[in-house]
Amino acid sequence: MAKRVLIVDDEPRYLRLLEANLRTEGYEVTTAQDGVQALEVFSAQPIDLVLLDVMMPRLDGFGVCQRLREFSNVPIVILTARGEEQDRVRGLDLGADDYLVKPFSATELLARVRAVLRRAQPPPETGQARFFTHDNLKIDFARAEVWVGEEPVSLSATEYRLLLQFAHNIGKILTSEDLLTSVWGAEYKNDKEILWVSIARLRQKLEEDAHNPRHIVTRSGLGYLMPPIEA
Amino acid sequence: MDSATLLALQDIFRQIRVMQDWKAALDLLFITLRGEFVYDNVAVYLVAPKTDGLEVAYARAVGRGKTAEADAAWGESFANEVFAREKMMVEEPVSNGREADRLLQEYLLGFPLHIGSKLEGVIVFVRFGGPQYTESHIKLASLQAYWTTALIERKALQEARNELDSVQRQMRLQDDFVSTISHELRTPLGFIKGYSTSLLRQDTSWDEGTQREFLTIIDEEADRLTKLIEDMLESARLQSKTLQFKFSLVRLDALVRDVAQRVTTLHPQLKVSFDIGSLQPIRGDGIRLSQVFENLFSNALKYAPGSELTIGMHMTGQVLRVTFADRGEGIHEDFLPFLFERFYRVPGDRTETGTGLGLYICKQIILAHHGKIWVESVLGRGTTFIIELPPDPAA
Repeated sequence: MAKRVLIVDDEPRYLRLLEANLRTEGYEVTTAQDGVQALEVFSAQPIDLVLLDVMMPRLDGFGVCQRLREFSNVPIVILTARGEEQDRVRGLDLGADDYLVKPFSATELLARVRAVLRRAQPPPETGQARFFTHDNLKIDFARAEVWVGEEPVSLSATEYRLLLQFAHNIGKILTSEDLLTSVWGAEYKNDKEILWVSIARLRQKLEEDAHNPRHIVTRSGLGYLMPPIEA
Repeated sequence: MDSATLLALQDIFRQIRVMQDWKAALDLLFITLRGEFVYDNVAVYLVAPKTDGLEVAYARAVGRGKTAEADAAWGESFANEVFAREKMMVEEPVSNGREADRLLQEYLLGFPLHIGSKLEGVIVFVRFGGPQYTESHIKLASLQAYWTTALIERKALQEARNELDSVQRQMRLQDDFVSTISHELRTPLGFIKGYSTSLLRQDTSWDEGTQREFLTIIDEEADRLTKLIEDMLESARLQSKTLQFKFSLVRLDALVRDVAQRVTTLHPQLKVSFDIGSLQPIRGDGIRLSQVFENLFSNALKYAPGSELTIGMHMTGQVLRVTFADRGEGIHEDFLPFLFERFYRVPGDRTETGTGLGLYICKQIILAHHGKIWVESVLGRGTTFIIELPPDPAA
């Protein structure tokens, strides 16, 4: 079934540009011209991906991103007109999966959309055990669900894929490049910011003390690992 | 000094500390202490920033003899001497025994004023006809000199802080300006980049209508970029006042009819009607004023499409009043105060291309003519721009 993309931008010319290109790739497209409308449209029909402009009247892109994350793990790509680091990091911090800096080319846009949708696919079954536990952390591979203690944890598709990398490589140090390539795709391998923010978000959700993590540990200058649990 | 005096002094110093105006604070200090230390005039000389010479910054005639505070010439040469020697000085006249001249005899007492280690000025007291300054007088005077220094120092600090505040405010404006500019430039660039790379995609083909549509957008956005850069240069020149105005006698009615004709040739759908009274030529820059009118026409075309535009010109008293009234949708009153600000665009109004600079430029041009421009609007009824120009900006 064709994936449905919600485009949110207050500039009609951006809506047209995004829509025309996405349709050539077989995506269904729905549009909204401001943040409030975006939330209304989102709750009215199933959406597989949101392309979200930052500067908009009524409710800006950051606001929409924050609201969406309260109840949905839909992949979100922030479209920012300002290439400044703080904007990109803020979007990722609020739970966006990726960002695209205006001006962008049509091929860049389509590549990002493909990459984000690919990450959103449930990862292939590895034929291992159904459950994985690491101290108080538990993963149900079959249902792609995660618990900390008795509490279910809601992870975005990207966060879940990132966690799986660690679970499948217990005790092994994974470099930033490894993680970026395997979770996001080869074209992201130098995009460390996106990894830092995602690791930070994952720790916030999984760790009792995000500053003193036990599940995902940093090895300075080398990378990250999930340490083996001592018996 | 008894405890009542001490309490009174404490009270005075407390008041002085919170007073904003250093001269008023000095007045209070001197008047209060005059009971303890009698003199006729006091003057504070400070180093003038430009000439490095001493200039009177404060003078009061509080006793007999000379009156006006401006008449501080009596202390000037003495002040320069205290300043040169950088120490406390007393100068008393040699008595010639004639009582008639007594009031002309100046008993002078001066202190250098140091702020930090820097000599910033001098304070001078004078008694006309004596008596001599005793040691306790000199002590009290030195206390006053000390407080004068403190007040002057505070004033200097206040001035420095105000200057810093203003510099910071300007820097913030500059920052906002730069970030607004880069955003404004990125918008048309984003479309040019996006639509041209769409056409260049090798993995798809666009039908002819779509190709034309995309190329038209690229063309329009390139024009918008050009206009944006021109407007930015123009507004920068207007803001820094480096744009030269050439004033001559102009007939505004002829000017506006010329512009109207040019605009209606390009946009035959625009209906313009005139309501022009009997006018005198005014002194103005015809090219710049035409630019203002062009802007108002183009706004009417963009934001009140299909509406008739009524242009009025009448003398109201000494000023010439020009009105551009459309019957479009109007502008919400919340947005009206910002219309003439740089880069302001009514939120949500993105269907039309614009730079957000047009009305800012209009306002600067009208201000350069010592005139006024403002806007009145009623939602659903229309918008009127009003300009008032004096017959001669130089008069």
